[in-house]
Amino acid sequence: MSVIAPNFRLSSFIRSILDNLFWIIVLVTLAGIPAVQIVLFYIEMPVIDGELLTPFLALTWLADPSRVLPIVKALMATDFFRIAVFPGFGLAALLAAGTIFVERKMLAKLQLRVGPFYCGKVEGILQLAGDGLKLISKEIIIPAKADKPIFWLAPVAFVGTAAAFVSLIPVAPGGWVVADVELGVLAVFAVIGFFPIITVLSAWSANSKFPFIGGIRALHQMISFEIPLILSLLGVVMLAGTLNLTGIVESQGSFPWIVFLPVGAVVFFICILAELERIPFDLPEAESEIVAGWLTEFSGMMYGLVQLGTYLKLYAFAAIFTVMFLAGWHGPMIVPPFPEEIITDGIVLGPVTATIPGLPLFDQAMLNGTIWFVLKTVAVIFFILLPRGVFPRIRIDMLLSLGWYKLIGLSFINIFIALGLLYAGVLGPGGVI
Amino acid sequence: MADGVFLALAVLTIGSAIAALEMRSLIYGSIALMGSLGGVAGFFFLLDAPFVALFQLAVYVGSIAVLILFTVMLVRRELIFRKVEDKRRRMAGIGLLLVFMVAVGAVVISSGIHDMETDSPPVDFRDIGADFLIYYWPALVVMALILSGAVTGALVLARREDGPD
Repeated sequence: MSVIAPNFRLSSFIRSILDNLFWIIVLVTLAGIPAVQIVLFYIEMPVIDGELLTPFLALTWLADPSRVLPIVKALMATDFFRIAVFPGFGLAALLAAGTIFVERKMLAKLQLRVGPFYCGKVEGILQLAGDGLKLISKEIIIPAKADKPIFWLAPVAFVGTAAAFVSLIPVAPGGWVVADVELGVLAVFAVIGFFPIITVLSAWSANSKFPFIGGIRALHQMISFEIPLILSLLGVVMLAGTLNLTGIVESQGSFPWIVFLPVGAVVFFICILAELERIPFDLPEAESEIVAGWLTEFSGMMYGLVQLGTYLKLYAFAAIFTVMFLAGWHGPMIVPPFPEEIITDGIVLGPVTATIPGLPLFDQAMLNGTIWFVLKTVAVIFFILLPRGVFPRIRIDMLLSLGWYKLIGLSFINIFIALGLLYAGVLGPGGVI
Repeated sequence: MADGVFLALAVLTIGSAIAALEMRSLIYGSIALMGSLGGVAGFFFLLDAPFVALFQLAVYVGSIAVLILFTVMLVRRELIFRKVEDKRRRMAGIGLLLVFMVAVGAVVISSGIHDMETDSPPVDFRDIGADFLIYYWPALVVMALILSGAVTGALVLARREDGPD
């Protein structure tokens, strides 16, 4: 039968589950519940409906399903929720995880392979969890002559910078953004500027040939593509008349900017590919020439962290493309309005009527906006992934001449188009449209 | 709150500036320089000038420091530097620094800076941009000419005779 566990016995399996249950109950009673009480006692509780939420009240409410919603709502209004769950890390990590799986499966299908197949029975959907477990349980090996502080710090700093990038992205109307910076576009540029530093420092600190070659290549590539990246966004900033990302999304209520600035969008997209080190610009990781480029010496969870950061960065760049050129959360209303009678009359189930205060949990515009934003971002991510199945890697001199001649020239053309539209009085603040 | 942040930033900026000078490892020195420049960006944030602060981060930390780092990584320190250090040189350096700082401090104190209103609202960067284009346009044109001259010069210097056209 099973090759993995030849001595499998159902009785011992059940006994181990019962053992685990026993220990869980003992630990929760002796340590868990007192810990929860202590925490509830010391943290500052919110005021809900004019009533201070004492720990006792909170526990009573948690036991009463019809009164949980206000607590959930109070939680959702906190900064912690924004950072950790919805517009911040949770959403980004979910999309990044989906991206990794779809990338492997889609590339396999493009190249007539099977791709992940065995984990989780159905088309290998648990491959990612398996890979994560493997990375966590692997030993972290640090090269003997590495510069240890920088080598340890680099993956963490990489993920941190990617998370800072994610925090700038407005996801849905109504202030669903972690950090609503007045100068959002400039903040994006400032955050992007940290990636080459971390890359080249980690490459240098490994004290090994291949990472160093990869790091130098990454530095060349990122620095030279940052310039057209910044220039290609200037057209949008001119037309929108603001640097705030939320303001830029709101300025695209009738038209997304890609309609008027297709040149800028194409330049920005190519720059995204180069900044993300995706094929055809994957020279820093060129696995057929320099092992794995600047990632060569990373092992175990350090490699996992760098991968997490890379995919967070991919999501963030795709989301910036959506915000800048594809009108962010704008789209036709497809979410049905919340049924009024549930709010006024409650839910009627035969003889039982349950009135639940605090409904609806999300308003219609926010749900709709999130759906459109995620759909557009996923589409952009798909187009970022697609070249990997199709194109070969280009030479570094072609890459640099592309970045310094063609893309910068095209982004200046884009700026002139934007200026023309602005001064003709067609678009922009006070324009016809 | 702001005082604590100010003190922390001051310690970060000055400390990492000293570290940038005193570190034996050039790489760590340039990392410390990055910390110092980042601290200056923090001061700009405290002074209600986020525009300047973000440019400080994007240009100085993100580009200039990277260029320094890159250059440092490609050279061997032993080849270009010879360690010349004795007590007298060190004392002379510290003395020179003190004289310079006292002079700058005297200039700042005797200027009108302490008559400034501290609670005035921050200047909007849009006003600065409008001023640059309307009132100070000759300065802007001169700056643009100098910068484009510098870029042209760099291109001429970097041009390769043997490269493919």
